[in-house]
Amino acid sequence: MHVPDGFLSPAITLPAYAVAAPIWVRAARKHFGRGAAEALPVMGSLTALAFVVQSIMVPVPGGASTHLSGVALLAVLYGPLAAFVCETLVLLVQALFFGAGGLTVLGVNALALGLLGPAAAWIAFRLVRGWGDGAAAFAAGYLSLQVSALAVAMVLGLQHVLAPGYLPVPPAVTLAAMLVPSLTVAGVLEGLYTVFALSLLRKVDPRAIP
Amino acid sequence: MQFPDARRSRALLGAWLIAIFAISAVSDLRLLGVAGAAAALLFRHGLLRNARRVLRSVVPLTVGLSLVSWAWLRLVASRPPELAPFLALGLRTVLVAFLTFAVLERVDLFRALAPWPTATRLLAVTLAQIHALRLLATESLLGLRSRMPRRPHTLDVVRGAGGITGAIFTLSARNARDISDAMRSRGF
Repeated sequence: MHVPDGFLSPAITLPAYAVAAPIWVRAARKHFGRGAAEALPVMGSLTALAFVVQSIMVPVPGGASTHLSGVALLAVLYGPLAAFVCETLVLLVQALFFGAGGLTVLGVNALALGLLGPAAAWIAFRLVRGWGDGAAAFAAGYLSLQVSALAVAMVLGLQHVLAPGYLPVPPAVTLAAMLVPSLTVAGVLEGLYTVFALSLLRKVDPRAIP
Repeated sequence: MQFPDARRSRALLGAWLIAIFAISAVSDLRLLGVAGAAAALLFRHGLLRNARRVLRSVVPLTVGLSLVSWAWLRLVASRPPELAPFLALGLRTVLVAFLTFAVLERVDLFRALAPWPTATRLLAVTLAQIHALRLLATESLLGLRSRMPRRPHTLDVVRGAGGITGAIFTLSARNARDISDAMRSRGF
């Protein structure tokens, strides 16, 4: 879902870094600050968990496949700021070692997939919790993906508006390309995954659930 | 095996960062062509291997989006859209991805990050964890497949992924603590 290098110009990527940087600092200080020696393993394990979940390919009808994101689960368990730091690290590892995403677009991807999506998941989980944990987990997983997809589509659309010669992909195409799979298949799978993972975590480690 | 020296690794990383941001600002086909030729000449060792990696990682998405966009623009406009912006988009993404692969295989990230022990420890913990957890996830999914008389459907895989998250969670916390303790005891 994330934007690859070369799709966005510095007119967008540099301001995105400027917006993301203070949030990275605040998030890292809040969750991994003074007790960094103790928090580092936790951070490493959460990052690896998100990375591995994202590498599980799920077959979808029609012969194609998609992958889970897992950040909604992190946001529900540890809050959106912890998810932001962990997802940023996942994006960094993917960009450096697997050629997915990229370093110039790291700020944009981190804000869309690591902050806006998890924040939506965190809010949805708390709002819908009255209807039961299962419904809340599903809403968190489903909404987090929609918000991230919409944010990525809007940034790509903005790039086209700013410089159509730079990104000749019109907003109608980016919106459809991002939102149709996300609304119909990927969001439902992410919601179900969050439900299954939370119900299992409740059995394995009930203290982990807020 | 000879490891690249830390200062050279850091210089190469810095040059790469500047280069990819500079390339991401270019939409002129000729400039991109010159930059592409220079990159191919500069990193000719491993050119085919890196070209294959680029072909797998970024080309399908770029080509797919370009084709859909071209068809869409053709549909809504009375005349066919210009090809140059699509070519520039493709060349730019390919060039940045190629430079990333070519530079990172020439850089020892651990040596480059040596002055920052926290970053080194985090990188080591994360990479070691990814390796261990991917093995666990693969084994679990293979186990899921072996227990089913039919090929697992979408819902089976999602349920299986939810199921192994608990195991991964516990294992990753233990592993990370072990790795971190081991690195600290070695002076990181």
